[in-house]
Amino acid sequence: MRQNENTRPWALAGVRIIDLTWLQVGPQATRILASFGAEVIRIEWRHPAAVDFLRYMAPFAPDHATPQGGRSQGAARSHGIRGNFDRGGYYNNTNPGKYGVTLNLNHPKGRDLLRRMVREANAMCENFSPGQMDKWKLGYDELRRLNPRLIYMQTTGVGKFGIYKNYVSYGPTAQAMSGLTFMSGLPEPYPPAGWGYSYLDHSPGYFGAMLMMAALHRQRQNGVGAYIDLSQTETGLMLTGTSLLEYQLTGQSTARYGNRMPYLDWSPHGAYRCRGEDNWIAISVQTDEQWRGLVQEIGSPPWALEERFADAAGRKANEDELDRQLTSCTVFLDRYELMMRLQARGIPAGVVQKAPDRFDHDPQLKARGYFVDLPQTEIGTWPVEGFPAKLSASPADAGGLTGRASPKLGEDNDYVYRQLFGLTADELSALKQEDVI
Amino acid sequence: LSSQSSLSSSLNEIVLLELGNELGDYAAMLLAGFGADVIKLEPREGSPSRCVGPFAEGNAQRSIFFWRYNLNKKSAVVDTGHLSARPLLARMAAKADIVLLSGELETVEGQLELWRHLAEQNRSLIVCTITPFGLSGPYRALRSTDLTQMAMGGVMAVCGYDPDANLKYDTPPIAPAMWHAYHIAGEYAAIAITAAVNFRDLGGEGQFIDVSVHEAVNTCTEIAIPTYIYNGQVVLRQTARHAFPHVTQFRLSKSRDDVYMLASLSPFEREARAFAQLADQVGMEHVLNTPEYKQLEKEDSRAAYTYRNDLIEQLVARLPAQEAFEQAQALGLAWSPIRRPEDNLTDPHFNARHSFAQIHHPELGRDLLYPGTVASDGGQPHMNYTRRAPGLGEHTSQIIEWSGCTANEVEELRRLGVI
Repeated sequence: MRQNENTRPWALAGVRIIDLTWLQVGPQATRILASFGAEVIRIEWRHPAAVDFLRYMAPFAPDHATPQGGRSQGAARSHGIRGNFDRGGYYNNTNPGKYGVTLNLNHPKGRDLLRRMVREANAMCENFSPGQMDKWKLGYDELRRLNPRLIYMQTTGVGKFGIYKNYVSYGPTAQAMSGLTFMSGLPEPYPPAGWGYSYLDHSPGYFGAMLMMAALHRQRQNGVGAYIDLSQTETGLMLTGTSLLEYQLTGQSTARYGNRMPYLDWSPHGAYRCRGEDNWIAISVQTDEQWRGLVQEIGSPPWALEERFADAAGRKANEDELDRQLTSCTVFLDRYELMMRLQARGIPAGVVQKAPDRFDHDPQLKARGYFVDLPQTEIGTWPVEGFPAKLSASPADAGGLTGRASPKLGEDNDYVYRQLFGLTADELSALKQEDVI
Repeated sequence: LSSQSSLSSSLNEIVLLELGNELGDYAAMLLAGFGADVIKLEPREGSPSRCVGPFAEGNAQRSIFFWRYNLNKKSAVVDTGHLSARPLLARMAAKADIVLLSGELETVEGQLELWRHLAEQNRSLIVCTITPFGLSGPYRALRSTDLTQMAMGGVMAVCGYDPDANLKYDTPPIAPAMWHAYHIAGEYAAIAITAAVNFRDLGGEGQFIDVSVHEAVNTCTEIAIPTYIYNGQVVLRQTARHAFPHVTQFRLSKSRDDVYMLASLSPFEREARAFAQLADQVGMEHVLNTPEYKQLEKEDSRAAYTYRNDLIEQLVARLPAQEAFEQAQALGLAWSPIRRPEDNLTDPHFNARHSFAQIHHPELGRDLLYPGTVASDGGQPHMNYTRRAPGLGEHTSQIIEWSGCTANEVEELRRLGVI
């Protein structure tokens, strides 16, 4: 079952992580840790009220997808299959490389079994609502008595202590509170555009992986564990530093700038409509030389030769008009052709790529092997997103030790409980009968 | 919980040499927050990010941007391209654990050959590069900025404002916040480096790490890629909510004190009950608990959803934002005001958690608050920032001494203009 254990050098070889996370914010961290070879044991429960929301959230694998097939059988819309929690595409992308077991923590024997697993683990991660683990008597204070070396990482919306300690949060809530939502969008009177995805479900995962590896490094050196109270909102605060300093120094409230660059004399600097439906190109002109190159590429129209646009200060002062005029030219042009023509002149330009552009077209992602095909036992082989860095000696591999995409619900019960934790077949059978696993 | 639990010194035996620009500033600062000793090797004119605004008091020598992303670091002015600098760099490489090179491909490639050579002398050295598209591939030499990276990486396509009724957009895709492509890449670079440190723990071997900003941004679009891969659908960007294959209902409300509020209800029954209770608390009339409404939910869920959203809007309009926030949260509703970043500076919650680090700026004669950690050990922050960004060359003498150069060598380096 440890398909990849000895096939390559893993940075986290020998590390075992008990993973009680769910949704995106917690599993993002353990996804990264699994890709570096940690043995991540994802614990879930099959009661419909406890199943990870991502397991029954669209997109689903097409109904025709089989274990032997997958993406090669083609994409198609699907509403999923009632009662089947193993066909979620987003779940599959979020949980590759992990082992999957079921465990009922509402059952005393379930909690006992978890304690047994924690004794033999390096770390545990969870992102339940604040207080849930304490209710089960599985909080850090209890578990570290069983395993003093344990690293316990808990991710919540605003942190486990502080006056908002019981507040609940999804990624968008944390983003709104941190200031990130406000900062995104066109200047007032437009409302904030916010973020079309939850960066604060991603970023705590990144920091979670970072914190965990800092703690594992220390654990390897001196055997000390750690308690990590990771706050989604604080990972958002980290990105607002420049605005906060500017406010403290000038008293000036944070403003939105759309796609413009208020802090350097770069202009034009924005997204410009191109030929076709909702097609756009981002252009950042940093120098007057680049501006002259851009003017030539759009055919030197009379407006572009006006004195007021000749230097950066003039372009900045007339940015609304500049953007309007530039769009009147780009709207007739093919976005990729324009990008490559501008690039040939050394002008930073990039197509606003949508999913098909990135998955089907982007030659860079293809050449670097960014998308990784991995098998999933129910729906076959599908691409998952890879790790954005190449490590020469201990490369990340999204498939981790399992060599697989996400686990089916409880797929690894036998392997994990019997081979890793030494339960007998009879014990396992009894636990099944008692609705513990 | 013991203070030993804090991870703020977990990397304090690590020395990191940083050469580059704004692509690498954040990554190195994150590692400095865990105790790594970060030494910026800067050219005589300073790192490029010292020229990025805004500037304190309009003084071009005081980049707020540079200050933010270079806490806890040291600065040494060294002409690393000078041939005579090589013995000095060799001494540094022999003592360092990590070298971080960032910038455009041609700049980084120009430096990499030397560091590859030096890594042969110090086999435990970790050399990490952060470049716009990575060191290989057909786009590797493309020019980029943070904005164009956000475009190509797919984030802009999922961020912006609602389309019209015919699903046509009259507003552009938006790059949310600024410098965010470099944030994502910086966080991933710090992850990759800590992974390499862990790998070194096992056998002592260093390695090369090639971080691509383009790929880093690509990891952050949530359901956009799975929705296309599995269902062949393209998600639509929508105002202040997730991009989705169809347009979902608008959910921004304005409070009595004119603050936008993110307030909505998930499909879970407990949230519907909590909202009915909140409406009762503020004295709003509603039919949420009636059999008629339950029937409407069954027969026309969209109409029921619209009714609930209208109620939310009316309710939020009756209360100041902070009050709406506290009352909703007390009932388990994940609502929040859309705060400006500075609104958090005085929030007692973040003060209690030491979320902001107080950093002294002697040149200003005052302290400034910086976001300083993302996690706590229950008492102390896991990341610790105590020193403002270094002045250009502020630590040159200290670093040269650390490298082990003799007085004569130092004199010669000065004469040649290397330091």
